[in-house]
Amino acid sequence: MRRMSKRLIVAVLSVALVGSGLPLAASADMIGTQVAIDLQRGSQAIENVDEILSRTEVREQLVRLGVDPEQVNARLANLTDHEIAALDKKLGELPAGGDALTVIGIVFLVLLILELVGVIDVFKRI
Amino acid sequence: MITRSRLLVHRAVLVCLFSWLLSACAGTPLVAPLVTGTTEPQTVELVDTPFFPQRRYQCGPAALATALRASGVAVDADALTEWIYLPERKGSLQLELIAAARRFERVPYVLPKSLSPLLAEIRAGRPVIVLQNLGLRRWPYWHYAVVVGFDAERDRLVLRSGTTRRKIVKASRFVRTWQRAHSWALVMLRPSELPADPDHDRYVQAVAGLEATGHIDAATTAYRTALGHWPQSRIARLGLGNTYYLGGDLLSAAEQFKVVVQNSPGTVVPRNNLAQVMAELHCTDAAMEQIEVALANPDNNPELRQMLNKTRDSILAWQAKSELRDCPL
Repeated sequence: MRRMSKRLIVAVLSVALVGSGLPLAASADMIGTQVAIDLQRGSQAIENVDEILSRTEVREQLVRLGVDPEQVNARLANLTDHEIAALDKKLGELPAGGDALTVIGIVFLVLLILELVGVIDVFKRI
Repeated sequence: MITRSRLLVHRAVLVCLFSWLLSACAGTPLVAPLVTGTTEPQTVELVDTPFFPQRRYQCGPAALATALRASGVAVDADALTEWIYLPERKGSLQLELIAAARRFERVPYVLPKSLSPLLAEIRAGRPVIVLQNLGLRRWPYWHYAVVVGFDAERDRLVLRSGTTRRKIVKASRFVRTWQRAHSWALVMLRPSELPADPDHDRYVQAVAGLEATGHIDAATTAYRTALGHWPQSRIARLGLGNTYYLGGDLLSAAEQFKVVVQNSPGTVVPRNNLAQVMAELHCTDAAMEQIEVALANPDNNPELRQMLNKTRDSILAWQAKSELRDCPL
């Protein structure tokens, strides 16, 4: 079922890409420098079905994280296929620099430090 | 027995704590050993680096704007928000900082993970974006700042950070927070600039990212910059040929691929690209000759062989179209 829907998405996507006049996976028979580097390193080079899918999946994830749907394609256009695949795999774990620590978090940290230096003893497991 | 071992543990903890305190108070200097003995100045501060006091959670746009502006891009933090800010994560991803740098035609160069190349960039006049984890490993507090100076004598670094224009941090303290973020440091290079202590693979990789995302002019200049420093680099010359091709200059592209093929006859990818360009220039006989040589290489893996066969098919298709056309090569 999942395979089927994947194939369907790829088919629709390919048609959409060709229709929009965008170059499909660089130009057909030139080997891009990134691919040449990958070949040299012995890592897999050609973008496969999963990497094409990654782009749609990352796009959806970014929109869910609050990125303007009209801006999201422009943002993704500056990422390489490998980078998109990396985002797709672990967007949730990657650090997002922004000092996002809630007040509860700060209180918790203070408690934890006090605990570690032996002032308090509220966390039984440490 | 139990009380005795407890006592021992307590002692051990005390000793550790004491030595830790000692090392924290009279720690070995970090900056001085990297700059003394050289004729370079011991204290550098890039005082002209602009400052964008961050709004809440927006240290990513602020740091990126600082570095981009310092490299001559007219942009401010607010304009970068729509390029790198993730509202639901209340922050910015490293990869998106890299992507945004490309958008402004800069080469995003990630520095090797140590203090020395970072200081070298400051000396070369470039502020450095760093990711810090100001919290703990398990409870991270991610933060982007920009290093703009160092003082070897006092072992301090100067940062544009958050809402502080000149944040002066003890080097050991900075290094701890930085290492907790895997010592990630990024500089914005103009396409005509090399990093202070250039690493070939890192640099060419950074430029290949510009090429792959369609920033052809910037990539062309940057490959030329690379070749100025590493004239023998096959991958940089392949890249230059590729960007000429992408920019529509087939003759210049062919010229670059030819140089690589002549210098290293065993190389396959440049030969493939030479063959394809030759075909598009209606030199299909010469193209076929090249692709056959490439295909005959016994080291080709199946993936590469598939690409070469595709090129061969493409040449055959061009052959039909080229019968009455002259080959300009």
